[in-house]
Amino acid sequence: MKGLGRNVLLFTASALFLVYVLAPVAWLVSSSVQQEAEITSRPPHWIPRQPTLENFEAIFQAKEKKVTYETRRAGDPATGGYIPSTARDLVPSMWNSLIVAVSVVVLNLLVAVPAAYAMAKIRYIGRSTSIYFMLTTRVIPDIALVVPFFLFIRTFGLLDHLGSLVITYLAITIPFSVFILVGYFESLPDELDKAARVDGCSRLQTLLRVYVPLAMPSLVAVVLFTFLTSWNEFLLALMFTQTPASQTMPIVVASFASDFTISFSFINAAGVLAVVPPVLMAVVFERYIVSGLTAGAVKG
Amino acid sequence: MSIRAGALRGVFGAPVSRYDQASALWLLAPMLAVLLVVAVFPVLYSFWISLFDLRLTRPHRVPFVGLDNYLEVLQDELFWSSVWRTTSFTLMSVTAIMVIALAMALLLNEEFRGRRFLSAMLLVPWAIPYVANGLMWKWIYDSGYGALNGLLFQLDFIDKYMVWLGDSHKTLALIANAFVWKEVPLATILLLVGLKSIPADLYSAARVDGADLWRRFVHITLPALRPSFMLVMIYETMMAIRHFDLFFILTEGGPAEASHVLAWQVYVETFRKLSFGTGSALAYIMALVTFLLAFWLIRTLGRKL
Repeated sequence: MKGLGRNVLLFTASALFLVYVLAPVAWLVSSSVQQEAEITSRPPHWIPRQPTLENFEAIFQAKEKKVTYETRRAGDPATGGYIPSTARDLVPSMWNSLIVAVSVVVLNLLVAVPAAYAMAKIRYIGRSTSIYFMLTTRVIPDIALVVPFFLFIRTFGLLDHLGSLVITYLAITIPFSVFILVGYFESLPDELDKAARVDGCSRLQTLLRVYVPLAMPSLVAVVLFTFLTSWNEFLLALMFTQTPASQTMPIVVASFASDFTISFSFINAAGVLAVVPPVLMAVVFERYIVSGLTAGAVKG
Repeated sequence: MSIRAGALRGVFGAPVSRYDQASALWLLAPMLAVLLVVAVFPVLYSFWISLFDLRLTRPHRVPFVGLDNYLEVLQDELFWSSVWRTTSFTLMSVTAIMVIALAMALLLNEEFRGRRFLSAMLLVPWAIPYVANGLMWKWIYDSGYGALNGLLFQLDFIDKYMVWLGDSHKTLALIANAFVWKEVPLATILLLVGLKSIPADLYSAARVDGADLWRRFVHITLPALRPSFMLVMIYETMMAIRHFDLFFILTEGGPAEASHVLAWQVYVETFRKLSFGTGSALAYIMALVTFLLAFWLIRTLGRKL
């Protein structure tokens, strides 16, 4: 009987858990495939009765279509489903986000891997200072960086340039990457280091030939965290980008949200597009992310 | 050289070889250089700016004003009411995060079929960009067609649709709810690590002594979980104090000033009023406060490495 009671309890708790975690997202997805007429029904249709992909079509075809007041009224005269002229910026902005995220990932690996190896495996004067330095930079609030970054970037003429985002994202990602990697390198045996050094490897060779191949799980975690942080970042992108040339996905999506004339179903479709890549990555690589978070103890 | 380096490893307090010292510095150099430029320099520069009356609306005259910007900020009534709102947002959010995350971590600490599926789904809110999260909750809270109104109406809790975010008494709590939903997964994962590190024999010993489930929870689980609980709580407090994105997407500080928190004030001061001097002073005050909290965190984490 005790086993049955336990099962009922676990089942109820799991159901509550899933509803809490998934219901808001399910509603977002459901309302992204509804037409304007359906989405404005009271009470709402939890499950769409006439699912449609026209919101997504509008986003992907926005580039070819010339959007004027007439064409968007004509598109859906009964409901006035507004497609904003900025809809065409969404797909390019996702490219911008991708370019920034990939650059930040690559630079992170180049900078963080050697530093983490030195902190974990080499005895040198200033080791604990460098560790505390790295941890301290990790807790600087991004809002405190905004003003100096802005002036700095304006001086170098990088405003409205993707480069400004790459540089500033390094500040918020590198300390965390180093932290995860130090934890992982420390868990690998010192004897490997000794053996490689006796065989005549330099420090750099030891790192590249011995430790990097062994540290793959933590490297994957670093890649994922850095990518997701860059892909999702909003505050700094809001300050440093001004035109579609450099706007990243969160900025364009946010601009839809503040425009009251845009139809809800369109905003929700944009939201779904923004959510799909990071959520897929997270769920597919769940194991690496959880181990990375565990090793890193706290997200940066 | 490799022999010298090999000889000193493992001997505590042994002299550091010159080769090791040099190679360590080379390996660290890129990170130190990048962090100096993108983290240390901005923080110092920010303090420097906060000593000037720098306004972008008047770029050619930038008088040195010493600590006047700080005095101006501290004498501003809006600053103190923002401090109060930030505090209540933080208290609400962190309390809810800790309670929900603890419950979820306790569930995931059990062995049962489907546990792996649950922990994979837990990452969904964590991975969603804050902007999309804000958009989603804005739609849920919508006064005309939102899901919250729809649900409460269908369940007969309300007899007509209500205004949610636009009601200044509810705004902060509703934003906190959106924040909590997104932060709970991380807190859960970190608490779960703490739960898993509690030795199982503690529980079986307590069972032999006749302690029931509740007593085992109060006398074993909670005390053993204390360190990770504190860590998560401090981390989430820092995150709540500095949070900006949801305030921008959901309310822009409104209605009136109902969600005008410190992070939002920094934004208004610098990028709407273009007063970089007072904006920097404000940001610096915020950074100092979160840094005091972070100090504890850094010491704990530094000891671990």
